[in-house]
Amino acid sequence: MSLLELKDVSKVYGELHALEKANLKVDKGEWIAIMGPSGSGKSTMMNIIGCMDRPSSGQVIFDGRDITKESRKKLTEFHRDKIGLVFQQFHLINYLNAVENVMVAQYYHSMPDEKEALEALERVGLKDRARHLPSQLSGGEQQRVCIARALINSPELILADEPTGNLDEANENIVLDIFRQLHKEGTSLIVVTHDPEVGEVAQRIVRLDHGKIISDKKNESFSEGE
Amino acid sequence: MFFRMIRGTFLRQWKKLLMIALTVALGASIATAMLNVMLDVGDKINEELKTYGSNITVVPQSEAVMNKLYDVENDEAVTEYIAEEKLGELLTIFWANNITDFAPVTDTTVTLNGGDEVTLVGSWFDHHLEFTKKGTTYQRDTGIINLRSWWDVTSGKMLDEQKQSGDGYAMVGSELAAQHNISAGDKITVKGEKGSEQLVVTGIYESGDDEDKYIYTTLSAAQRLTGSTGYFKKAEVSAITSPDDELAVRAAKDPSLLSGDEYDLWYCTAYVSSICFQIQEAIPEANASAVRQIADSEGKILEKTELLMTLISIMSLIGATLGISNLVTSGVMERSQELALLKAVGATNGQITRLVLTEILSAAIVGAAAGFFMGYAFAQIIGRTVFDSAVEMSGMVAFIVAVLIIAVTLFGSIPAVRMLLRLRPSEVLHGGH
Amino acid sequence: MNKKRRMFVRMVTASLVRRRSRMIVALLAIIVGATILSGLGMIYFDVPRQMSAQFRSYGANIIFTPSDDGYIDKDSLEKGISCFSKEQLEGYTPYRYENTSIHNIPVTLAGTDFSGVLKTSPYWHINGSMPSSDGEALIGAKAAEKLGISVGDSISAQNSFEVTDETDLTGIPDYEIYTDPETGEKYCDHMLELKAAGILETGGSEEEYIYVTLADIQSLTLSDRGYDIVEVSVAAMQDELKDYLKQVGEKTPDISARLVKRVTASESTVLTKLEALVLIVTIVVLALTMICVATTMTAVIAERRKEIGLRKALGAQNSSIMAEFLSEGLVLGGVGGIAGSLLGFVFADIVSMNVFSSPITFRPLLLPITIAASVIVTGLACMIPIKSAVEVDPALVLKGE
Repeated sequence: MSLLELKDVSKVYGELHALEKANLKVDKGEWIAIMGPSGSGKSTMMNIIGCMDRPSSGQVIFDGRDITKESRKKLTEFHRDKIGLVFQQFHLINYLNAVENVMVAQYYHSMPDEKEALEALERVGLKDRARHLPSQLSGGEQQRVCIARALINSPELILADEPTGNLDEANENIVLDIFRQLHKEGTSLIVVTHDPEVGEVAQRIVRLDHGKIISDKKNESFSEGE
Repeated sequence: MFFRMIRGTFLRQWKKLLMIALTVALGASIATAMLNVMLDVGDKINEELKTYGSNITVVPQSEAVMNKLYDVENDEAVTEYIAEEKLGELLTIFWANNITDFAPVTDTTVTLNGGDEVTLVGSWFDHHLEFTKKGTTYQRDTGIINLRSWWDVTSGKMLDEQKQSGDGYAMVGSELAAQHNISAGDKITVKGEKGSEQLVVTGIYESGDDEDKYIYTTLSAAQRLTGSTGYFKKAEVSAITSPDDELAVRAAKDPSLLSGDEYDLWYCTAYVSSICFQIQEAIPEANASAVRQIADSEGKILEKTELLMTLISIMSLIGATLGISNLVTSGVMERSQELALLKAVGATNGQITRLVLTEILSAAIVGAAAGFFMGYAFAQIIGRTVFDSAVEMSGMVAFIVAVLIIAVTLFGSIPAVRMLLRLRPSEVLHGGH
Repeated sequence: MNKKRRMFVRMVTASLVRRRSRMIVALLAIIVGATILSGLGMIYFDVPRQMSAQFRSYGANIIFTPSDDGYIDKDSLEKGISCFSKEQLEGYTPYRYENTSIHNIPVTLAGTDFSGVLKTSPYWHINGSMPSSDGEALIGAKAAEKLGISVGDSISAQNSFEVTDETDLTGIPDYEIYTDPETGEKYCDHMLELKAAGILETGGSEEEYIYVTLADIQSLTLSDRGYDIVEVSVAAMQDELKDYLKQVGEKTPDISARLVKRVTASESTVLTKLEALVLIVTIVVLALTMICVATTMTAVIAERRKEIGLRKALGAQNSSIMAEFLSEGLVLGGVGGIAGSLLGFVFADIVSMNVFSSPITFRPLLLPITIAASVIVTGLACMIPIKSAVEVDPALVLKGE
C-alpha cells in the first residue's frame, strides 16, 4: 500500500506555476530523492508533502487520507504524528541544548522523555554532546541533532530539505550513513537535493524542472548497504 | 557601495529601522515636552501665584520716613501723595511686561450715613490706562479686580468702571454691610474731610480680612472726599518675579555696591528688588518695596515647583534614554547574522561599524524630528489643560533634544558595536548566534 | 502531565537564562517603565500634602478673633487649638495690642509669642535677631525709622493709666504718679525698659508696630487680659479648613474663627493647578513609557519569528506557542514590576527629600498596581507580535533569510 500519493497537484503563485500537475506515488519504506536545479519546484513539492503548504489544485493522499481537505488544526496534528523534518539550516533553538532540542519535538507530539531523547542522540552518535548548546556544536553535529529530533516521534516519513547543503564531505557521509541505517529499519525517506552525490544514493530518483516531473525512475546503482 | 548597502538596508530592514525611529520619536517627544514644560513652569506658576495679590507697594518717598501714627497726632500735617498721571510710567520700565496688574489706592476715614466712622478706599477697578511718553502710547487695562482675586461677591455685582461710567458707585465689605444693614442697590452717604458723596452700592464682597469692614469706591470719588484730585496715596503692584538668590539679596541692601557686571545682571533679571529699583527710577518721588509675605512665599513655591518638575523631567529623560539605547542595542543584535556575513566577505570592523551607525543615526534623526514636534504638541496639551495658555517654545530645547538624542543613540550603540566587533562569522553562520 | 509541565518550565527558564543579553534588554525596559509608574504615582499622590506645607510660607490661614467685644483668654484658645489635628497644625501665634508711647511718641506695642511667629509669619525679614527673652523687642522698620531706633538701642516704653487707689500699685517696682492739674485725676506712668534686638521688614503694616513678649506687655500694663487676635497656620486645603472652623465655633463660642481668604482661596487655586500639572505630566510620561516598553517587547519577540516557525513545523499548536511566549513575558513583567515598583519608591523618596526635605509617604497600594500594570503591558506587548508570528506559514519563515 502506498504511503503518499500526489494526484495532479499544482501550485500557482500569481503568474508563476511553481508546480504543474505533478503525480507521484511513494510506497512505505521507500527512499526517494527529489532532484532538480534551483527554481524547479522542489521546495514547493516538499512543502506540500510536509503539510506546510496547500496545493492550488489536486489531491494529496497520505496514508489513505486526503489531507488537502483537512482543517488547519487537523493538518498540524497529522503532520506532527507522521512526518519528521530535516532542514538545510538545521533550525535548532539556540538557547536549548541538544537533548532539549530533541525533547521539544516530543513535547509538542506527546510527552517529553529525556531518556528516549538521549537514545535518539545516541543513534546519531552524539550521546556525549547532549548537553551542548547549538553554538558549541559543529555543522555536522547540528544536523545530526536535527535528524535525532526528526526521528524521535517515530514518524512514517522523514522529509529532508537539502540536508547536506551546509556540510563538508565528511559530515555529509555521516548523515548519508544515518539515512541508510534508517532506510534499513524501514523508515520512508524523501530527500530534496540538487547535489547528485546525495541523490545517487537513493532508491528512486524523481527529477523536476520548471514545475514538472521530467523523470521518475529506480536508481540502478542503489545498494541496500554493505 | 557604502550608500548602496545603506539604501539596501533601508529597503529591506525598514521595519526595524522604523521601530528605532519610532522609539527615538517617543523618547524625543518626552524630552521635548518635559523640557518645554520645565522651562516654562516657573512663569506659569508665577502667573497663578498672582492670585495672592500684589507683591510690591509703592508709597510716596517721604511717607516711608514718616509715621502714620505721627500724622494722626499732627492732624493737619500734609499726607504726601503721588500724582495719578505718573503711574503710567510703570508701563515704560525694563520689566514692564512682567507687571501683571497695578492699582493706585487712596484710603481715608469717612462718616457713613452720618453715623459711624469707617474706612473708605478709592481705587481703580478695571481702569483703562493710556500713557504717552516720547511719542509712544502705552495701553493697559488694570485695577483692583485682579488684585483682589480672592474676593467673593456675595450679592450684587463687582463694580465695573468701564460700563458704569462716572462715579457714584461703591462696593461694601460684608461685615460692614451686615452691621449697617446695607444691601446691593442701596444708596449710602459718606462724608470725608473735604466733601461728601452719595454712592450706589453695586455689590457686597467677602474678603476674609479687615477689608470686610471697608467701603471700596472709585479713585476719583476718594480723591474728592480727601481733596486730593489727581493724586493717590499708595499703589499696589503685582509683578512676575524671579526667586531671590545671593545676588538679589546683596543688591537689595544697596545696588551701588555691586560691580558693573553684577549690576547689569541684577538690573536685567526680574528680581523683586530690581523691579522696585526700576519703579523708583521711573517715579523718583516714590518708594517701592516688596511685600515680604507675597514675594518671599512666591520665591519659595516657585523654587520647589521648578525643582520638582526638573527632577520629574530628569527621571523621564533617563527613562527615554534607556528606552532608546535598549532598542538600538536589540536592533543591532537582531542583525548579527547579516553583519557577520558582511564580515565573512571581508568587511573590516570599521566599515561595519560605520554602516551600522549611519543607518541607526539616520533613523534616529528622522525619529527625533518627528518626536520633537510631537513633544511640542504634548507640551501645548499640558499648557492648555493646566494653565489655559500655550507653553512657550524655547529654541534651547531643540538644541538639547538634538544633542541628547545623538548622544543617546551613539551611547546605545556601544554595546551593540562591541558585540559586532567580537562576532566570529563562522559561529554566526553556523546557526548559533 | 507532570513531565510536560516540567518541560514547559525548562523551556521558559532556558529562554530567560540562556538568552541573557536579550532578556536584560527587555527587563531593563520593563523596570524603567515600572519605576516611572510607581515613582510618578507616589509623587503625584504626595504633591498636595507636600506642597500644602510649602504654602504655609504665606503664613496664617485662619484667624481667631473674640466673638464679642472682649478678649480671647488662654483656656478658650487652648480649647480652640485642640480642634486641629496635630500633624496639620503648623503653629499659632497670639497677639495682644496696646497703645503706648515711646519717647513721647505714640506707638502700638504688640505682645506675642516669638516662637509661634516663626511658623505663622515665616516671611518676616529681621535685621539683627529675633527677641529670645523678656526685655527684648522687635521694632517694625517704619517705627524704627520714625523713632530713630537701631539694633542694640535701649528704649523705654511708657504706659499711662488712671489710678483711683494708690495702694493697688504696691509691689510694682518702677512707676511715677502725677496729678492732672486741671481735673485733679491721678495718673500712673509705668515704664518698661526694652532692648531692640532686631528691626522687622515685611513691606506691610507690621512695620509700624513694636513687638515684645507677652510677659513684658503684661508687666507694662499690669493686666493679664487675654489676646486680641490669634493667627493659626494649618496645612490643609480650603474645604478641610472650613470643617475645622465649624468645630472651633461649636467648641468655643467666645472665639470667632475666620479663614484668611486671600491665603486659602489663592492656595487652592494654585494647588489645583499644580496637581493637574503633575497629573497630566504623569499621564503623558507614562503613556510614552508604556509605548516604549511595548516596542521593546515587540522587537524582542519579533526577532524570534523563525523560532516560532520552527515550533510550528515541529507540530506545535498556535495556542501552546502563545502560552510559552506569554509566560516568558509575564515572568519578565512580574520581575520587572517588582523591581521597578521598589526603585520607583526609592526615586520618589529622593525627589521628595531633595525638593521638600521630607520623606515620601509610602503607598503600599501602588506596589500591586505597578506590578499588575507592568504584567499587563508586557503581556499585551507580547501578544501582538506573537499573534502575527503564529499566523505566518512556517515554510516561509524557515526558508527565507
